[in-house]
Amino acid sequence: MNEKKEIQTYVLFPNHDNGMRLHRELKKLGVRATIAPTPRVVSTCCGISLLIKKEDVETVEKCVTEHQIQILKIVDIEKNINPNRDRYC
Amino acid sequence: MADYHKMWESLGMDLDLHDQLCEVLPQAFGDVYLSQENRPEGMDYFNFVVSEIHGVRPAELIEHQKKGGKVFGTFCVYVPDEIVFAADAIATGLCGGSQFWVPGGEKVLPKNTCPLIKASVGARLDRTCPFFRIADMYVGETTCDGKKKAWEILAEDVPVHVMDLPQMKRAKDIKAWAEEIEDFKNVVEQFTGNEITVEKLAASIRLINDKRKALARLYDLRKNEKLPISGKDALLVSQIAFYDDPVRFTNMTNELCDELDKRVKDGVSVFPEGTKRIMLTGTPLSIPNWKLHNLVETSGGVVVCEEMCTGTRYFENLVDETKNTMEEQIMALSERYMHINCACFTPNTGRIDDILRLAKEYQVDGIIDVNLKFCGLYDTEGYHVEKAMKEAGIPVLGIETDYTDSDAQQLRTRISAFIEMLNN
Repeated sequence: MNEKKEIQTYVLFPNHDNGMRLHRELKKLGVRATIAPTPRVVSTCCGISLLIKKEDVETVEKCVTEHQIQILKIVDIEKNINPNRDRYC
Repeated sequence: MADYHKMWESLGMDLDLHDQLCEVLPQAFGDVYLSQENRPEGMDYFNFVVSEIHGVRPAELIEHQKKGGKVFGTFCVYVPDEIVFAADAIATGLCGGSQFWVPGGEKVLPKNTCPLIKASVGARLDRTCPFFRIADMYVGETTCDGKKKAWEILAEDVPVHVMDLPQMKRAKDIKAWAEEIEDFKNVVEQFTGNEITVEKLAASIRLINDKRKALARLYDLRKNEKLPISGKDALLVSQIAFYDDPVRFTNMTNELCDELDKRVKDGVSVFPEGTKRIMLTGTPLSIPNWKLHNLVETSGGVVVCEEMCTGTRYFENLVDETKNTMEEQIMALSERYMHINCACFTPNTGRIDDILRLAKEYQVDGIIDVNLKFCGLYDTEGYHVEKAMKEAGIPVLGIETDYTDSDAQQLRTRISAFIEMLNN
């Protein structure tokens, strides 16, 4: 039986200023976006990204355009979060 | 995805080696933090700080230096930040909470040194921590033998000032610590070229007291039966307190607490009713050491308090703000800092009293007494901690660990069994 993979959507930025701006604007709209370290699978740079719900992508894109916020891209990645993995850093 | 490579390069960092740390941080953070349900939105600020931990704050410190300001790197909660900020300088914590830095420390230190010291020295010598690269002076103290020798190694590289912390708490020891603070003030004034006046020190005392009050407010919220925040999240706030700009940190922590107040009012809890309430006591958990909190909170428990340097020892007791002369202010600082109960003191019965008091205040079901491997002081004091808790009827589990993942499964088994026992 094929298990359906859970997908997570991340917004990536050229710098944290744009990330924080988008976070603020989305908050005003009542759209939940979680600030998170950028997953390594999508970038080798350290820094923030925003974890959003897939259904909010359109709203996020509109907000980005309206407020002229610079983003690099919006990407879907397979969810790879496991609190019992016990791999710390 | 800010690119800080240029900044790190200008700091003389080993970019390839540092990149290995960047590689593991997002996954570890995701596993520990992003796996939680119903986190307070106010934690977003602290997520931001972690995500940019070697970027945003180091850049701010460099800007401060460009304007002629100095940065002091500190290792211990006994070093009075008030003195540093009163001279228009910045005090910052340094790196020391990851196994990533330990091998670098083992190149020069005996392997049977505690991981915190090995990681700190390794972070400096391997050139993988921007805070260590930026700090103009390190401020050490005599809280253990391992640190005392480590300062001598670090001093080959960077100016180090060592504060001689008394090991007893008699009136003459409090006076001796006041003299050490006075000496430190002179060193800071000379190094920065800025005079510390009564007014400036008074403002600085208020600044750091405000930070302590914000942390105390956060911890008070963890005393509620319904917990508005997890132990992991509270730990992260405590860890970031050592690095962040104090005004911004205080504001953001108070903002988080506003949200938590509302949660308490609305009866929101991030853990189901009946989850066993655990207090961790012992050695500090420097960022990014999240292992024990994650193990407890994925094994049927919740951490409600840390009797640690990254916990209550950092913020409990305020400095008296009513003093009007330099001499009185310095004595007030000494009295506040000498109230911290570290295992380096003898006798140290105040720490046992603290643990018993905190166990009541936080409605603790059980205590995990944590000892970083090779910390002889806390390991030995564990005897008195366990004895006192047994006498008080508080279940206690003693754990010795380091920064590696190798004991995680074994610890998970022991912690699960301990929590299971609390349920019976």
